[in-house]
Amino acid sequence: MSKTGSFNIALLGNPNSGKSSLFNFLTGMRQDVSNFPGVTVDKKKGSFTLKNGKEASIIDFPGTYSVYPNSTEEKLVINVLTDQNNRNRPDLVVYVADITQLERHLLFATQIIDMGFPMLFVLNMIDLVEKTGSTINVSVLEEYLHVPVICVSVRNHQNLDELKLKINELSENTLTPDEKPLYELTDIESFVASRVKKHLDTENMYVAKITAHHYKWLKFLKDSQRAYISDIIIRSGFNDLKIQVQETMQRYDSYSDVVKKTILSQSKSSKTVTDTIDEWITHRFFGLVFFFLIMLFVFQSIYAWAAYPMDWIESGFAASGAWMSEILPDVWWADLIINGLLAGLGGVLVFVPQIAILFFLVSILEESGYMSRVVFMFDSIMQKFGMNGRSMVALISSGACAIPAIMSTRTISNPKERLITILVSPLVSCSARLPVYAVLIGFAVPDIKVFGFLNLQGLAFMGLYLLGIVGALGSSLFFKKILKSDSGSFLMIELPDYKPPIWKNVLISVKEKVFAFVYGAGKIIIFISVVLWFLASFGPGDALKNAELKANEVSMADHLSEEEKNNLIAAYKIEASYIGHMGKWIEPAIDPLGFDWKIGIALLTSFAAREVFVGTMATIYSIGSDNDEKTIRQKMAAEVRPGTDIKMYTPATSMALLVFYVFAMQCMSTLAIVKRETNTWKWPIVQFLFMSAMAYVGAFVVYQLMG
Amino acid sequence: MATLASLKPGESAFVTLLAEGSYTCKLLNLGILPKTKVTMVRKSPFGGSFYIKLERHQLAMRIDEAKTIYIDKVI
Repeated sequence: MSKTGSFNIALLGNPNSGKSSLFNFLTGMRQDVSNFPGVTVDKKKGSFTLKNGKEASIIDFPGTYSVYPNSTEEKLVINVLTDQNNRNRPDLVVYVADITQLERHLLFATQIIDMGFPMLFVLNMIDLVEKTGSTINVSVLEEYLHVPVICVSVRNHQNLDELKLKINELSENTLTPDEKPLYELTDIESFVASRVKKHLDTENMYVAKITAHHYKWLKFLKDSQRAYISDIIIRSGFNDLKIQVQETMQRYDSYSDVVKKTILSQSKSSKTVTDTIDEWITHRFFGLVFFFLIMLFVFQSIYAWAAYPMDWIESGFAASGAWMSEILPDVWWADLIINGLLAGLGGVLVFVPQIAILFFLVSILEESGYMSRVVFMFDSIMQKFGMNGRSMVALISSGACAIPAIMSTRTISNPKERLITILVSPLVSCSARLPVYAVLIGFAVPDIKVFGFLNLQGLAFMGLYLLGIVGALGSSLFFKKILKSDSGSFLMIELPDYKPPIWKNVLISVKEKVFAFVYGAGKIIIFISVVLWFLASFGPGDALKNAELKANEVSMADHLSEEEKNNLIAAYKIEASYIGHMGKWIEPAIDPLGFDWKIGIALLTSFAAREVFVGTMATIYSIGSDNDEKTIRQKMAAEVRPGTDIKMYTPATSMALLVFYVFAMQCMSTLAIVKRETNTWKWPIVQFLFMSAMAYVGAFVVYQLMG
Repeated sequence: MATLASLKPGESAFVTLLAEGSYTCKLLNLGILPKTKVTMVRKSPFGGSFYIKLERHQLAMRIDEAKTIYIDKVI
């Protein structure tokens, strides 16, 4: 039994072996996704009821090629396997191999067996081999590996009941393979391994050798142990790369015959379906056309189609807010529930449609094997900006919303490339900036046609979007320069055979991402929402009460209607509130951008979400926040600078404000998801600061040039 | 000696040697070993990377990476 007391099953195997599909089959919806401690690597844990009634825990480890890792994910797996006190250390390894790639997938399996783990070897995708008329001879493989082998097809649910039986059997009687190892250590390896084994009290020679090989980064080693191993390695002349090459070649050699005898293939396949598809899909020209068509579809889905369910959620929350304000008394805690908590919850749930739709489509692209082709096609371009081919999909999705886009970067395995993608994605103009652009563009650019047919405002709109893209790419160059990377950059990636997606996997991935957002980022969003509510609802001393009295006096004197009176009260109240004071307090700082304190308030409140700008402007100008953009525009157009007859919203101020919104990180939800995805507050803070600096400088330059 | 990067689309060859360096480990893990048959299928739309076919699977790699794979006579 493991340290945790339960029976631990580890699912291991190469990427694209169908491991996760098997995990989804075995655990169903009983899954729990968290991070492995200290790294943003998904730890997918599920449970599986054994025949004896006990629960076994199953961890779906990241796909791994061998005990010589190349990525954070793979390193994590090796850390768990070599650390004898690790709480996730498996009691049984269920190793999944794609039978069509048996030769390659055997490498890691033989290494795990040599580490002394009991194993069930699962040959997946037998349907693909049977289709070609080949026969499979399992006993040859069993004899070679000395572990039980079972043939299944997870996709077709073939033989899965037998697989469960086998797991049950092995959970009651795990045989530790103490046979002759599959790979015989050379003299120098034995020399190093035996000393490390003795020093660390390692149970197994091969584990000791791997520990020596990776002593620099294995987490469980103490500094003194590291120093000891380092000393042994130097004394013995242990050359890690040479030894790895040697071991890998010898393993391949020792089982190449076994593979031939296991799969008695009828025909050497010539041109496969995948070859034919890729002639078009990765074609120099048609490949790009196809990619942009797919991206157009993805964009359309999250931009336009997600708008319907988002409207339902928004109006649902508006209706329940209205209903609650009728049944609840007019006290502060009722207001907190309605305008703080409920509004915050609405602000969280409104993102669910976009996240669900994007991940539905993205996981189809991943599952089918297309995403690797995207990486292949765009690697060289994205590399120039310090990003990955996969970043293309994130950047394009950011045009709808940065939140699902940032969540989609999980599959970028190079940490630096992933971080840059996360940092710059929110600079691409998202759909929430649209209402802000729509309100302001009329003040900045006249509604005229150029060249007879092009609308100047339309052109300006396009210019703002381009500015966002240029901002994103420009800052990616900056981060590429200044960020350090501990892992080298490489492309080398498998282009797996095309397969129809397994729908269960797709749906589980959608569910997982929605839950990750709601639980992971939701708390932060609701918290900030409540803070903003507090700042807007309370003021120093009796300020709010006095504001209301004054508004009442003014409306009496001016004979305002009931509605006009309420709007005026709201306007006076927000001015008197803490956030109103903050707006006035920052006025000197934003004055060089041409902004007054009213804009200052809107900048602060729209930190909740950019589109809140419009609502706040409506409140400040006392026209009621449910009025349309046209009314707000009229009111803003009439606004003059105090004591003068100079218009407030000159083209210079409006353009500066537009540029400010292109760059500014005015979205707490994005910051919350960046915190979740990077596992630290450092990066959301860095992101907030650099985007605010860009916004400030951009707006300053525009205002000074135009003003 | 010629490297994989010198193959033209459609040409095949056998791997003879991997230049030892930071890519070696990854190449081995992806099934590129001495005596493996490799085929250059195509280049990426903007250049910079190759679509490589092996006996039973496909890989993508950059030019720099392909340059560490030495090959024997084109077949």
